[in-house]
Formats: sequence, C-alpha cells, structure tokens
Amino acid sequence: MRSCLVVALVLCAWLPGPVRAHDLQHSIDEATAVSVRLFFADGRDFGLESYEIYRAGEEMPFQVGRTDVRGRVVFLPDRAGTWRIKLFSQDGHGGDFSFITGARGDVQGGSKSFLERHLRIIAGVSLIFGVFGLISLFARRGGEAGDAHP
Amino acid sequence: MHIPDGFIAPQMYLPAYGAAIGLWAYGLRRLRTALREETIPRLAVLTAFCFVLMMVMLPLPGGTSAHATGIALLAILFGVWTAFISVSLVLLLQALLFGAGGVTALALNALAMGLVGSAAARYSYLLLRRVHEGFGLVVAGWLSVNAAALLMALALGSQPLLAHAEDGQPLFFPFGLSITLPAVMIPHALVGIGEGVLTLLMFRLLSQRGWVSQP
Repeated sequence: MRSCLVVALVLCAWLPGPVRAHDLQHSIDEATAVSVRLFFADGRDFGLESYEIYRAGEEMPFQVGRTDVRGRVVFLPDRAGTWRIKLFSQDGHGGDFSFITGARGDVQGGSKSFLERHLRIIAGVSLIFGVFGLISLFARRGGEAGDAHP
Repeated sequence: MHIPDGFIAPQMYLPAYGAAIGLWAYGLRRLRTALREETIPRLAVLTAFCFVLMMVMLPLPGGTSAHATGIALLAILFGVWTAFISVSLVLLLQALLFGAGGVTALALNALAMGLVGSAAARYSYLLLRRVHEGFGLVVAGWLSVNAAALLMALALGSQPLLAHAEDGQPLFFPFGLSITLPAVMIPHALVGIGEGVLTLLMFRLLSQRGWVSQP
C-alpha cells in the first residue's frame, strides 16, 4: 500500500510536464501590428498569395503565410529594424522589398503615391527619347527615309 | 510577365547575364549598322510605346493580370536585334524606376522577351505573310508573348530543383513546373490574342503613315 502511494506521488510529480507538452495554451493580447497591403498598379489586391517575412540579414523566415483576401500581410515586429518581405504568386508575380519599423510597429517611409508612379512613367519615356537622341548622334546619315521594314 | 528580384537563383541569373552581355554587345553593333538617322525617331517612339504598354496591367479571369508588350511590332518593323536592344532598355528602366522586373532577373527577362519573343514574332511573320499578312501579324503577336512566357515559366518552375535547402525547402521561387506552366501559360494565351490584334492594328496604322517600307 505504501509503495503504491509512492508510485502515485511520483507519477503526479512527473506527469504534468509531458501532459503540458500536448496541451496547447493560448493568450489573447492587444498589440500594435504592421499591416502591409499589396496590390497591382490597377488597384487589384494581391490576395491569397504566398509571402515570407525576414529580419534583416537572417535566412530563417520570421513569418510565412498567405496574404488575406484584400492583399494584406499583418505581422508583429519583435524589434526595431529592417524587415524584408518576399511575395510569390504561382504565375510569377511578386516582389521583394524591405522597410524599417520601430520597436512598437511604427513604420518609416510608407506608401508610394499615385502621382509618383505617373511621374516615373514620364521620366521613363523621357529617358527613352534621351537615349535615342544620343544614339542619333552616332547614326549614319542619309539612306532610305523609311528604314523600318519587315 | 517580368520576373522580379528574389525569384531566380544565381545558378541561373549569372549564366543568363553572361549570355546577355555578349548578345547585347552584338546587338548594339548590329543596331549601329542597321539604323539610319531618319529611322531613330520612329524607333524611339515605338520603344516608348512598348514602355507605356507594359505599364498598363489588364485584369484577367482567375485574379491574375497581364499586359501587352508591343515587342512583335518592334521586331517586325526593325528586326530582332534592334528589338532586343530596345526591349532591354525598356526592361532596365522598368526595373530601376518601378521595380517591375528585377535587376538580377534583367538578363533573363531581356533574353526571354527581347530576344526569344522578338525572334518568334519576326520569323513567324516572315513565314506566314506569304499565306496571309493579317494572319501572320496576329500569330506573330501571339507568339511574341507566349514564347517568352514559356521560357519564363520554365525558368521559374525549375527554381525549386536548382536551389533548395538541405530539407528540400526552395530558396527562391517556390513553385514547380507543374504549377508554373499552367499558371503562366493560360493567362498569356489570352493576352497573346490581344497582342496579336494590337500588332495587326498598329502595323496597318503605321503602314498608312508610311512607316513601313515593303522590301
């Protein structure tokens, strides 16, 4: 009887550890998260696509998953610094960019404006004309006027 | 259609750069001998047209999007090498100004779209115009998109085989060929029809304007 009691006491002392290993606990807390929204130039959401988030300089992802249906990635940075997001869709769309957050999830250098995109298009077209303007300085003169031919 | 940074392993993009640098040098030499002063403004206008076209994303069924390129038109009017150089310039600007297509993937994008796409368009047009010029133009437009898309789907889908961690986890683009081939090719088969019609309409417009001289 005494030995049974000892065994029971030992089991009671030992069992909670292994049992806890299978008992998934949870806590619900308030926190400030960083929300990154991914969308195409026409405004459509990059929804339900794969992403990976990395701390600067690390190869093991900090977080992986899929964007929500509105194309958002929400995560809780555990320290201030640079974060890298890699995004993939099955058809080869995606991106790879970095941004800086503070320790409390405050973001530095957020969104790009609609106007900025249009200014860049104008800059691109201007550069193309500029490059061909330079090429024309070295081109042969004369010849047929319409050299474009199939 | 542009492959961004971070999708392609160095085992692929470094050899692609090696090949592209040699082909860019050859293409620039060809461009210098082929172009005349009078032709350059037209080439500049069509290159700018390509740049803007590639910025206009069209939504497609299934939640994806695609864009026309104008590459077939460049290749038909100016030849494969001139188109290759022009498209490479467009891709470089898009990568630097918009991050549309990566700098590391620039060579692969240029080889796929600028060289393979142009060659597919020009030679299919030269072959088919004997049968029917309009049909040849539409097919050229379709092929310019789909030949490039096929190469990109193969490049993307081979990444898990090329570069992976010890546990098999892909280090770059994570989806294999069984996913990339249908995911890339089906939307581009639709886009190719639009590209073909655009090539036909633009070619006819430019013909009326005297930009095309038949040999």
